[in-house]
Amino acid sequence: MQAVKPAPLTISITKEAADHVRTFTKVEGSATSNLRVAVKGGGCSGMTYDLEVVEGPGENDKVISEHGVELYIDKKSYVFLAGTVLDYSGGLNGKGFVFNNPNAKTTCGCGTSFSV
Amino acid sequence: MLESPVLRASRHDGAILGEAFGWNVPRTYTTRETEYEAATQGFAIADRSYVGRLRINGHDAVDLLDRLSTNRLSDLEEGSVMGTVLTNNKGRIIDVILLLRKSDYLMAFTGAETRQRVADWIDFYTFAEDVTVVDETETTAMLSLLGPKAATAVKGLGDLDLHQSAEIEIGGVQAIAVRTDFSGVPGYDIVVPAASGDDVWTALVDVGAEPVGTDALDLVRIENGGLAIGAELSEDYNPLEAGLKNFISFNKGCYIGQEVVARLDTYDKVQKHLVLLSWETGEAVSVGATLYAEGKEVGKITSAAQGISGAGEGLGYIRNAQAEVGTALTTEGDVTVQVGGAVRHP
Repeated sequence: MQAVKPAPLTISITKEAADHVRTFTKVEGSATSNLRVAVKGGGCSGMTYDLEVVEGPGENDKVISEHGVELYIDKKSYVFLAGTVLDYSGGLNGKGFVFNNPNAKTTCGCGTSFSV
Repeated sequence: MLESPVLRASRHDGAILGEAFGWNVPRTYTTRETEYEAATQGFAIADRSYVGRLRINGHDAVDLLDRLSTNRLSDLEEGSVMGTVLTNNKGRIIDVILLLRKSDYLMAFTGAETRQRVADWIDFYTFAEDVTVVDETETTAMLSLLGPKAATAVKGLGDLDLHQSAEIEIGGVQAIAVRTDFSGVPGYDIVVPAASGDDVWTALVDVGAEPVGTDALDLVRIENGGLAIGAELSEDYNPLEAGLKNFISFNKGCYIGQEVVARLDTYDKVQKHLVLLSWETGEAVSVGATLYAEGKEVGKITSAAQGISGAGEGLGYIRNAQAEVGTALTTEGDVTVQVGGAVRHP
């Protein structure tokens, strides 16, 4: 897997993750491969990641297109996600979608929650 | 310093005011002894308008608060109250809040000095959720009734079990009444618009409620293991140490601090517990005093008051090995302090 180094203050998606988004949305019967990437309060460490297949961007969303997938990020989530690379870890031992977030100072045991 | 909207009526009833929690509050009205008796054996009224009251609006309010605190709020039914603990990601206490679920909003009763912290905490963790917080502490008044005779003295209170609420009318004013037993004796918090506070106070005094100030209230609280923010409740302690196990759901899933709280409970790693303490009449023991056993530091006093008999009464966190009933500890000034029972909240 080739490492992706994002420019500061951007959010990236790897080709593997983008391929998986397309596969997933196709199975789900969605006409588009657009993904809302967000942060929610909660989880053991304070914040959790949230992914949702959506039709299009919301008002004031940041839109990022990469590897044929559009990512929509609301302004507040963007503050905590800037610099993140969204990757996919497949296979029997894989973790699914993985957020490599440089802002995360601590993460909880299951890896889906973080604090900044 | 903030002023209660009920001070005119309180002054009329002889209130001697003093500063507490950043508010100008009634400390006493008659004598601490008389007020203590009314609160524990009769029918008493206290102006607790300093307690934080946050109205939390929005469709996602229950879901968000459930993710930020220890109890299973999805079980909270309309008209009921649930205690829950806001913890940080180290499982330490930010505040213990009582949440009242109304048809279209939540009312959070917070610590007197933590309402802004709680509002900011909720706001920080609100991303796309439909949640807004309105601080109603200064636009409402909160009159608390306590004592075993309170339930029969005011129409509408008698049927309320712990953590239930009702909309009642007092002196022609619509009020929300919540049974919280906030000081460990039967207790009801009555919330009314600030402008009606004086009239509702007077109506309740007219039906026999005896005014009590914070001095007597604090003694009742300490004797019954009631928790105070900044004393027993702070980021120095976790909810298991504070005896708040009944405010924690261990199987609802994640909330901030859950991993730490669950580990402490599962592996029995809680190191100290909140206990009742007592000492002889005339001995000087103050809040913050360190307690020793065989020369080793084993605990700290978080609340202290002189009981009606003159003996000292307090609360403190004591290491497990010394937290047994009857254990004698000493202060730096060589005062003997006896350990009573562990504090457990219903």
